[in-house]
Amino acid sequence: MLACLCTVLWHLPAVPALNRTGDPGPGPSIQKTYDLTRYLEHQLRSLAGTYLNYLGPPFNEPDFNPPRLGAETLPRATVNLEVWRSLNDKLRLTQNYEAYSHLLCYLRGLNRQAATAELRRSLAHFCTSLQGLLGSIAGVMAALGSPLPQPLPGTEPTWAPGPAHSDFLQKMDDFWLLKELQTWLWRSAKDFNRLKKKIQPPAAAVTLHLEAHGF
Amino acid sequence: MVFQIQISRFNSSNIIWVGNYSTTVKQNQVLHWSWESELPLECATHFLRIRSMVDDASFPKSTIWSNWSSWEKVDVQDSLGQDTLFVFPNDKLVEEGSNVTICYISRNNQNNISCLLEDEQINGEQLDPHVFAFNLNNVPFIRETGTNFYCQRNKTVKGIVLFVSKVLEEPKDFSCETQDFKTLNCTWDPGRNTDLRKHASQRYTLFEFYSGEKKLCKHKNWCNWQITQDSQETYNFTLIAENDLRKRSVSILFNLTQRVRPMTPFSVSFETVSATNAMMTWKVHSIGNYSSLLCNVELYGEGRMIQQHNVSVKVNGEFLLSELEPNTKYTAQVRCAYDKHIWKWSEWISQSFITLEAAPSVALDVWRNVKSKPGSQNVILFWKPLSKFHANGKILFYNVVVENLDQPSRLEHYTIPAPANGTELSLDQSSYEIRITANNSVGSSPASVIVISGNSTEEVEEEKIKGTEDGFPVSWKPHSGDVLGYVVEWYDCPQDQLCDFQWENVGPGNTSIVISSDAFRPGVRYNFRIYRISTKRIAYLLEKKTGYSKELVPSTKPQVVMNNLTPHSFTLSWENYPTESQPGFIQGYHVYLKSKARQCHPGFEKANLPEITDDPLCCKYKIDNPEQKRFIVENLQPESFYEVQVTPYTSAGEGPGEAFMKVTTPGEESHKLIRILLPMIFCILVIMIACYMKSQWVKEKCYPDIPDPYKSSILSLIKSKENPHLTIMNVNDCIPDAIEVINKPEGTKIQFLGTGKSVTELEFTKPAYLYLLPTEKNSSSPSPCICFENFTYNQAASDAESCGHVLEPPFVPPSQLGLVTSSESLLKTLEKSYMNSLEEIPAEETNLNYVSQLASPMSGDKDSLPTNPQVPVHCSEYKMQMAVPPCLTASPLSEKSSLSSVTLLDQDEHFH
Repeated sequence: MLACLCTVLWHLPAVPALNRTGDPGPGPSIQKTYDLTRYLEHQLRSLAGTYLNYLGPPFNEPDFNPPRLGAETLPRATVNLEVWRSLNDKLRLTQNYEAYSHLLCYLRGLNRQAATAELRRSLAHFCTSLQGLLGSIAGVMAALGSPLPQPLPGTEPTWAPGPAHSDFLQKMDDFWLLKELQTWLWRSAKDFNRLKKKIQPPAAAVTLHLEAHGF
Repeated sequence: MVFQIQISRFNSSNIIWVGNYSTTVKQNQVLHWSWESELPLECATHFLRIRSMVDDASFPKSTIWSNWSSWEKVDVQDSLGQDTLFVFPNDKLVEEGSNVTICYISRNNQNNISCLLEDEQINGEQLDPHVFAFNLNNVPFIRETGTNFYCQRNKTVKGIVLFVSKVLEEPKDFSCETQDFKTLNCTWDPGRNTDLRKHASQRYTLFEFYSGEKKLCKHKNWCNWQITQDSQETYNFTLIAENDLRKRSVSILFNLTQRVRPMTPFSVSFETVSATNAMMTWKVHSIGNYSSLLCNVELYGEGRMIQQHNVSVKVNGEFLLSELEPNTKYTAQVRCAYDKHIWKWSEWISQSFITLEAAPSVALDVWRNVKSKPGSQNVILFWKPLSKFHANGKILFYNVVVENLDQPSRLEHYTIPAPANGTELSLDQSSYEIRITANNSVGSSPASVIVISGNSTEEVEEEKIKGTEDGFPVSWKPHSGDVLGYVVEWYDCPQDQLCDFQWENVGPGNTSIVISSDAFRPGVRYNFRIYRISTKRIAYLLEKKTGYSKELVPSTKPQVVMNNLTPHSFTLSWENYPTESQPGFIQGYHVYLKSKARQCHPGFEKANLPEITDDPLCCKYKIDNPEQKRFIVENLQPESFYEVQVTPYTSAGEGPGEAFMKVTTPGEESHKLIRILLPMIFCILVIMIACYMKSQWVKEKCYPDIPDPYKSSILSLIKSKENPHLTIMNVNDCIPDAIEVINKPEGTKIQFLGTGKSVTELEFTKPAYLYLLPTEKNSSSPSPCICFENFTYNQAASDAESCGHVLEPPFVPPSQLGLVTSSESLLKTLEKSYMNSLEEIPAEETNLNYVSQLASPMSGDKDSLPTNPQVPVHCSEYKMQMAVPPCLTASPLSEKSSLSSVTLLDQDEHFH
């Protein structure tokens, strides 16, 4: 009897019911995207601190909350909770993708204006990470069968202030860019956490039939 | 013409500035004039008017001012837009240390506006109901993104960025040079950077006066200038530094040929490197068809410069480096300068090479250590490794050739691989010549020769020397004649004979040397042997020296033993004290003696030691001979207390000693008494031994079991004193048929002394009779013979604890005994105690003590008198003899341990 059990256990890898093969689905890529947003959240916390000190007071003060005047072109992360809950997967992902596409462009403009080499290095590193997040979101969308939103020609967002744009307003825009980016990363973490729970398949039930003879 | 201009603020009557502007005018010409207001123009309405006057000597009559123009109003507030709060000026650029005026315009009646410079709130001056001005004096540079000034009202935040630039500095160390007569490279130190975000305006321009050419430099600290083909020799350069606020310049004038710094030479190599020479070659960049360079060649060996040479080179340079050491790594470096005018040398370029090996140049420094054994000798050869300078390469092995001088045909070869520094040979008692050579890949060194004589070494006396800080000055008597030199040998660490055997060669003309070594340590004895090397290279031991580099105080305490104690003296000895193993030469000992005497004993002096007080007096005796390890302390007082201590001392001082030994001298009487007592005790012991040997004989003679009345001393005493006619009754004349033993009518108390409790008390109410078997059965009537009590042969055995126990004879039936107890249980207990006591009694304690029959209790222990006052003595004629346990004889007799407590003995024992 013991020999029979050993034989069965020895051939367990060959039991088809126990082999989970094939496409794992979008679950892992959603998890990776979620992890990436958390990592970027952490990374931005340090970068924003440095950059806001570089701008000087009042932008580096913790309770500074100016009106959102010149930053209207920035994608807004805040949304009504009911609206957010009612978003379908495709729309949720599309909003994320479009937001980060715009934020990445603005961030690159910020990098070009930075005066210190160290700040430029930090911003370039963050831009690379954000580019990775964008690719990750695109991967999730592809796995779910959603097409990538195509940017309209000539609507490439830029971060070049107009001639009437004062330096103080420019700093305000920089402040709002970083703040909006932080809010988006926080929202994305919620988005992908929700998506993860929704997409994640139930635990696979494995049934092993053993035909025991001579017991 | 001269134009006079007036400017008013807020209203035309408030003139704040008046100025003249002179210029030459042409017909229909439009003139431009600008004025910068300290207060931003947005903050207030300004008014301006102008008048003119001809200022020309050719029109003297026209020097009258024209009428004023009408006031021109400048008001930009209307064009600001719909906002309710504005801050001006917008993004102003100023230099560090400037004064700046900032204002805000509020179109709201609410006055809860606060303005901050960075994070500090500042107060302004109200210019009109809607305008506040803020004067900032001596503004500092804070950051490249500018200084923030902002005003906030509720949630509205409006601000400006004030860009404060550092002051542009004049370039320092401006110079130009050429490497190839084609390009001039100009460099300078720009000083601090004045660039800001959005205002990166600091730039440099190079202007050459003679050619009139100008070049905007791409870099802030250097710039290249192309030399034209027309061979301009003199250059006058002006370096202009400027930013949006300031402009500075610096100029230099030079001749091109005096600003030549050649390029670094290249392709340095070494050709035909031998053991002592190397050919160095290199190349230089050409600086012109007919120009040559002066090159500087330096040779370094072991980190220091050995050679320096100057070589004139056009294209290819070469130099023969000579006088090099074999097998040595060298580094050569070369640099060049323009030979017509040395402005600056080029950079160095260096290259290393190693010369080839050569045969070792000198013989090894060899010495030996010979240990003779019966029939053989053990020769340990030592040699010092050749220095790198003499080895001329890597020593691969050492050759040792041993030749028996007594049998010259025999040669033995040994090869010892490097890096050995010695070898051991086992030779017979013949004389040998040993040749040692060091070998590298090229050849052998000259041979070192040592001759080992088979003769045993003669012993010489050892002499003490004293080391100094510089080492041991070792000198010896010169030896006339046959001397090739001298060798001094020693061990760096004498405790380990195999450790660092050292020797030093001394020329034949010298008879002294200072031996120094880093290994010498204070307190360690070093032994030096001086050998003479004969012309036959045989070593003879001349002298032996021993000494310390620095002597220390003795390290071990002498173990002092005291003996021969008499009332007037005692002897101290420390024979085992190891004088040789001390960290200094023992020069003697101090004997300290403490006594209550007021003066020191002869030979002693008062010890002046800090730890020793005068009470009791401490005296010191100094022993100068280190071998004297015995000292007699004399002239002591009998029955006196002394304390004594012995300490060794070296030249470094006194060492430790054991704690003071306490001695009390005996009294003279006791001393004499001992002289008497000792022989007496000896005699007694001899007698006792003899008695023991002849105990039976003595017993028979001195105290037989049955005493002979005739021999009693009492008899003679009685005879002589009381009744000379008294005779002894002959007992043999009657035949006893019974002995009546009559106990005392008094009650007898039995007490167990061992336990201290009275177990029972037995009253003898009637006599107890001990019947003896009649010698004749028929004789039933008592004979006329006198019967008498004789308790002599009663015996009581007891040990110390069972003293007073009544030990009843077990074989006596109680009915026969007729006494004693009505309690059988008591008898059993006693019987048991008896048996136990018998088992417990040691053999020697069971001996009977003989008590004379007539001995009065009073004649015994006086202390027993009060305890036994009532013991009646009934049988005055013949007292019984008693056997009393020793403990009873030794202890006072108590009432409970009266005579009646003595146990009767077996009758068999009585009459045998």
